[in-house]
Amino acid sequence: MNGIFLNRLPLSGKVFCTLYLVGIGCGALAAFAQAATAVGLSPGEVRASLAPDMPMTHMSHGQMSREKEIDLGQISTSAKVWIRTPLLIQTSHTHLFGMTLIAGLLGAIFLFSSLGEGKKTLILSLPFLGTILDIGGMWLTRFLWPPLSALVIAGGSLFALGYVLITVRSVYEIWLQKELSA
Amino acid sequence: MSRFMLRLIGGVGLMAVAAGIAAAHVTPPVVLASDREAVAGLLSGSRRYFVREVRLSPAERAAIQKQSGWTPNEDFYRFYLGRDDQGALVASTIFMTEYTIHGPVRVAVGLNPDGKVKGAQVVEITEETYPWVKPLIDQDFARDYVGQGSTGRYTLTDRVRAAGDSMTQFYGQVIVSLIQRAAILYDTTVLKRPTSG
Repeated sequence: MNGIFLNRLPLSGKVFCTLYLVGIGCGALAAFAQAATAVGLSPGEVRASLAPDMPMTHMSHGQMSREKEIDLGQISTSAKVWIRTPLLIQTSHTHLFGMTLIAGLLGAIFLFSSLGEGKKTLILSLPFLGTILDIGGMWLTRFLWPPLSALVIAGGSLFALGYVLITVRSVYEIWLQKELSA
Repeated sequence: MSRFMLRLIGGVGLMAVAAGIAAAHVTPPVVLASDREAVAGLLSGSRRYFVREVRLSPAERAAIQKQSGWTPNEDFYRFYLGRDDQGALVASTIFMTEYTIHGPVRVAVGLNPDGKVKGAQVVEITEETYPWVKPLIDQDFARDYVGQGSTGRYTLTDRVRAAGDSMTQFYGQVIVSLIQRAAILYDTTVLKRPTSG
């Protein structure tokens, strides 16, 4: 871009980009661990955290009260987080800002890749699309159709794929690629 | 370094600051006990377990709002009931949640058959909230509200007030209000209604 490519950055620029990519990678691993322990990584676990709470007694819509005997084993023993609407609003706004800004910074670095415009456009779009799919999937799971929890997993995976492609290609170009003619 | 690069780095810096501000809002959840652990603890002595799910009528919602200032807005509420071998009620438990600016606070409240508080346990908070709530947990804050019913006095006791700083007191009041709401819900939907279903 503008004749500036990653492999032609000054040393400070190369170090900045590399450390940023490494830092985001560490953050992504921590976020992965957090998601795995607090919610889970399968569509079923995401669904359990996000979908509206359904009556255990099969109480119908107009019914005011219903009682049913249960076994203690029917009560969840896993310490899982229930993401109800107010928490979903909080999570959405922080993650939409945070993940979009991360995607923006990844994209800003990748703009200086020597890849062709088509490939570059596709790859730098992945973290943005992953973010929208991830957070959008949470809302769709809660308010439209619980099986759409698969979108949350797909969105997170797309974000991670975009990060990996951007990082691998960028680090390759910064430190290994031979000088290109502008 | 070119002007273009300086602008780019400046923009990146601003974005990083904004990301930091955005990420500083709600910290990750801290789950202190599973639902089963809380129910088993608060319904100790029970031999059989039941779920009673209740909906509030518009009149009941209005009455609760008038009595406590709290507007219940869930579609339904779920009580876990513990009974003995003969079917007599031993105790009930309900999970109550308040969403604060720092994230959710979820409390399991145990109630005796007459609607008086048997005990309470904080089951979920956030990382940021934890240091403020921990002194309350350490002091077994719920002890001060045992025996109170829906019309009891749900203000901070001196012991709880002395447990920490203003944020601890703020969260103490949040938790105490959740205990009161549980007692009010039980009073409205269990004690004042015939059993159905």
